[in-house]
Amino acid sequence: MSDPHPLSSSTNGDRFRKQAIAGDLEAPVEHARQLAEKLGLEPYPVNYWIVDYDEMNELIAYGGFQTRYPHWRWGMTYDKQRKQGQYGGGKAFEIVNNDNPSHAFLQESNTVADQKAVITHVEAHADFFGNNDWFGLFTGGRADDSVDAAAMLERHARTIEEYMADPEIDRAEVEKWIDHTLTLEDNIDQHQVFSRRRESEDAPTGLDDDLGEKLDELGISAEVRGEVFDEEWIERIEGDEEAPSFPAEPERDLLAFVREHGKRYDEDAGKAVEMAEWQRDVLDMMRAEAYYFAAQKMTKIMNEGWAAYWESLMMTGEAFAGDDEFVDYADHMAKVLGSGGLNPYSLGKQLWEYVENTANRREVIEALLRVEGVSWRNLTDVVDFDDVRDRLEPPEALASISGDSLEDLAELPETWIDGEALDAARAGEIDVEAYPWKLLTYEGLARRHYSLVEPQFRGFLAEVSQDELERIGRYLFDDARYGSVEEALADLDYAAGWNRMYDVRESHNDVTFVDEFLTSEFVAENDYFAYEYSEASGGFHVSSTDAADVKKKLLLQFTNFGKPTIAVYDGNYGNANELLLGHQYNGVGLDMDAAGETLKRLFELWGRPVNLLTIATEVDDHDVEVARRRNREPDREERGKRLRYDGEELTVEDAPWEDVSHLAADDVDYDTKPEEWLA
Amino acid sequence: MGLREDLERFREVGEARREDLAEFISYGDLGSSRPDEVRIPVKIVDLPAFEYDRRDRGGVGQGDAEVGQPVGQPRPQPGDDGEESDPGDEGGDHEYYEMDPEEFAQELDEELGLDLDPKGKTVVEETEGPFTDMTRSGPDSTLDFERMFKEGLKRKLATDFDEEFLREVCKVSGITPREVFEWARGESLPVSFAWVEEAHAEVEDERGAWGSIEELEAEIDREPIQAKIRREGIGHVPFRREDERYRYPEIVEEREKNVVVVNIRDVSGSMREKKRELVERTFTPLDWYLTGKYDTAEFVYIAHDADAWQVSREEFFGIRSGGGTRISSAYELAATLLEEYPWSDWNRYVFAAGDSENSSNDTGERVIPLMEEIPANLHAYVETQPSGNAINATHAEELERHFGRDAEDVAIAYVNGAEDVTDAIYEILSTEGDSDE
Repeated sequence: MSDPHPLSSSTNGDRFRKQAIAGDLEAPVEHARQLAEKLGLEPYPVNYWIVDYDEMNELIAYGGFQTRYPHWRWGMTYDKQRKQGQYGGGKAFEIVNNDNPSHAFLQESNTVADQKAVITHVEAHADFFGNNDWFGLFTGGRADDSVDAAAMLERHARTIEEYMADPEIDRAEVEKWIDHTLTLEDNIDQHQVFSRRRESEDAPTGLDDDLGEKLDELGISAEVRGEVFDEEWIERIEGDEEAPSFPAEPERDLLAFVREHGKRYDEDAGKAVEMAEWQRDVLDMMRAEAYYFAAQKMTKIMNEGWAAYWESLMMTGEAFAGDDEFVDYADHMAKVLGSGGLNPYSLGKQLWEYVENTANRREVIEALLRVEGVSWRNLTDVVDFDDVRDRLEPPEALASISGDSLEDLAELPETWIDGEALDAARAGEIDVEAYPWKLLTYEGLARRHYSLVEPQFRGFLAEVSQDELERIGRYLFDDARYGSVEEALADLDYAAGWNRMYDVRESHNDVTFVDEFLTSEFVAENDYFAYEYSEASGGFHVSSTDAADVKKKLLLQFTNFGKPTIAVYDGNYGNANELLLGHQYNGVGLDMDAAGETLKRLFELWGRPVNLLTIATEVDDHDVEVARRRNREPDREERGKRLRYDGEELTVEDAPWEDVSHLAADDVDYDTKPEEWLA
Repeated sequence: MGLREDLERFREVGEARREDLAEFISYGDLGSSRPDEVRIPVKIVDLPAFEYDRRDRGGVGQGDAEVGQPVGQPRPQPGDDGEESDPGDEGGDHEYYEMDPEEFAQELDEELGLDLDPKGKTVVEETEGPFTDMTRSGPDSTLDFERMFKEGLKRKLATDFDEEFLREVCKVSGITPREVFEWARGESLPVSFAWVEEAHAEVEDERGAWGSIEELEAEIDREPIQAKIRREGIGHVPFRREDERYRYPEIVEEREKNVVVVNIRDVSGSMREKKRELVERTFTPLDWYLTGKYDTAEFVYIAHDADAWQVSREEFFGIRSGGGTRISSAYELAATLLEEYPWSDWNRYVFAAGDSENSSNDTGERVIPLMEEIPANLHAYVETQPSGNAINATHAEELERHFGRDAEDVAIAYVNGAEDVTDAIYEILSTEGDSDE
């Protein structure tokens, strides 16, 4: 984690009453931080602010910040947010931004129980921001590793406001330019470390410029030029040149590419001219913001689930809410988790619990397999899982800690107990009833909250499959270390689940997270299904309830922000400085209308004609008619397509297959349609 | 702060891109609007981006499902950023531009060039208006001091005079107080004889300083009173009891502009889907328009075949019955229901729609007399025959023959396709005459 980096004071809640951490919340904030750290979280420092309903909606519209550049999109989000609040009861409890320190905004109208829940939730988010590697991609490129988000966004806001106020620059032009840029906000290389400038070694230099101009610069006299470097010579030299094609590798960071090589189309001149300084500057700013927000978009499920998991553990597990507040809290959770659909909170939380449970189970199974006479073949026969589970129950002294049970606590293994705190408790300096966790270490808390004995996961251990047993058992050495189950469990690492969670939270994003941890049990239990469009019926139908298919469709939604992958294939297409993009086709076609509209915007950033090669599936109307009568799907044919916009006209033409074959991926398939499905 | 501007810009952007109102009425999705809020789809307000084709993409849903079962309205997907995605809708995301009925009415006025001016009817209350009326007594707090000051100033202006000059006049040789007074009066100086006598006595010694008033006038400029005030300040303004006025609120008679709209629809067997839809397309904007125009709008929905019965708005456009058609049954019911809305207090609109089929002689013998008996701002009949005239469907024709094309309070409109809807609405709303009661 990086050092706290103070925000410049002007970005700091000037607009909000400096009512941060109102009296009631001072203690919960402090305790939540202590508890979070005991649990192994390493959150950025968090500043808490209390805001009213309107301010909350404003903050949400601005993506959790107080100042953003002027743009109508914020107005749109704000409008939507307000209306949801009015009609849908979509209540916002908090918003926290990814910054160091983080700023969390709590809604004034929350009950105390809500506020406490929100604080625990926020602490977990702040941990995720600080420790997930994908967030590190934005900060990693910088020496001091600081986020500096609020300051950056505010700087951008000021700069753009200045451009808009500049009498030399047309305000509407600035707004349009931002619009053009934003159409590409998801076309970045979000898996790379962010750097302000993308080095472009492969861009051709020197000779591609007009040779005549070069000669002018040499200051050769007109006579000499006429004799030696005549027009014919120039043409010959220029003609000889190999058409320089770049980039060498397809470039996914479209924003960087147009920033380096783009021009703007000048209506009056009727040709491409260099971008103005402010235009490049706007491009740079929008690109930096796109990279900054990318990590949040890539880890929505993980991050919300992470926060929901720790919130629940602190609130319910450690009674962070008082008894009277608990009902409110339960109500709040029911609202958040039960909002239906595939909500990121409940999907994420359940996946995290799965990570924890499987790691814990693996630890237990490994221990059991090391008992003499137990092997993966016979484990389920010789081991009594009920007995094992009873042994996994935390000792009474740990499960219920009170002022009277301090001495029992002292009997427990040292690693579980925070000795200093215990002494303090004995001296009456710690309110043991309210904060029992203060007496425990990370290991102690892991023991106390061991997942496999939680009521909802009681069956999890026994459900271990033979496959899994084999997988673990086959590679296990030293497999006769213990004489009995009791002995084996005595050495058990109860923090295995949490440790695994911390590893996962560091390295995964939503795609890898869902791919690795979404199980068929999960899909079946929650009644998930995949659906597809039927050409024959003209509507959407359930295509599969199979976990693998559901996962396929889910991954499609998470991969690359749920958007198709587009890359620059040539910045000098046809040796005419045209731009050629390629859509890396994974079986799911482009929305052609949207692609055409986007190309029109891109033209403004390139200044010269823009092209896009893609693959589209086509069905013959006659085939659809036939298929409909026979109750089956018509055959679909994949064809190459080239979209082109030259500043005036958008054209879509068939492209020969050899021009697009390199774009088609044959190792992915997102289609879940069964052979016969509309019987 | 900035967000307010952003919101305004969004509205401007949305305004520019929302569907043309006339087009919306004829072809748009009226169903997503509510009676108090008209929602007009805005064509792709958000910026374009490279995106998957929705059909190709498919999705994930939750619920008890069988393979092959159609999926109605799948929920938003987790990757979708909470944005509504409706796979059944090829056009993709629709943002909505929302307007309240007032705005709708205003826009429609502009679009169709209407100028329906709603009339106030019932005197609902006598409210206290602004404190603009005056009385001579009242509590101190309502004393109109400003007025009193002005009156005092006026009085001062009227009574003040150039004392110095008049004193000089008294010094003219041989002049008597009477002569001074007479001269002053001749000059309209508001001076009393007593004052002149006093001043005359005071300058006894200096008398003879001037040979004549003419000489004096040539020597010394008289100073107008305004100049004096400007020079010396206002000084003392005489407040008089008679200038005291106390403000008290004006009594404003408020006439509420209220309207009752009776929607009548033929629901008999011949009114098939297409006809029903056209009636809905015509009636719904009329309802919105009148809601927007009047302070209070009440709606009565009557469905009829051979008999008539009152229904709720939700049911109104959906009902279909089997029986024959007797339009007068609806007007009989309307007459009864309208008793609750006395013509003296309510603006009334009676809109009926159907395919002009009626039982024999019902139109001439029953409907027309009823229409004439029910006082209303406007009676309208909307005929819808998308597939051409049926031979015995002559209700509209008979009405037109009887009332004439230019009747002030009867409108007949024909809607045979979506493209006729706005014309019909114009025909109806521009018919209402100015005559009232």
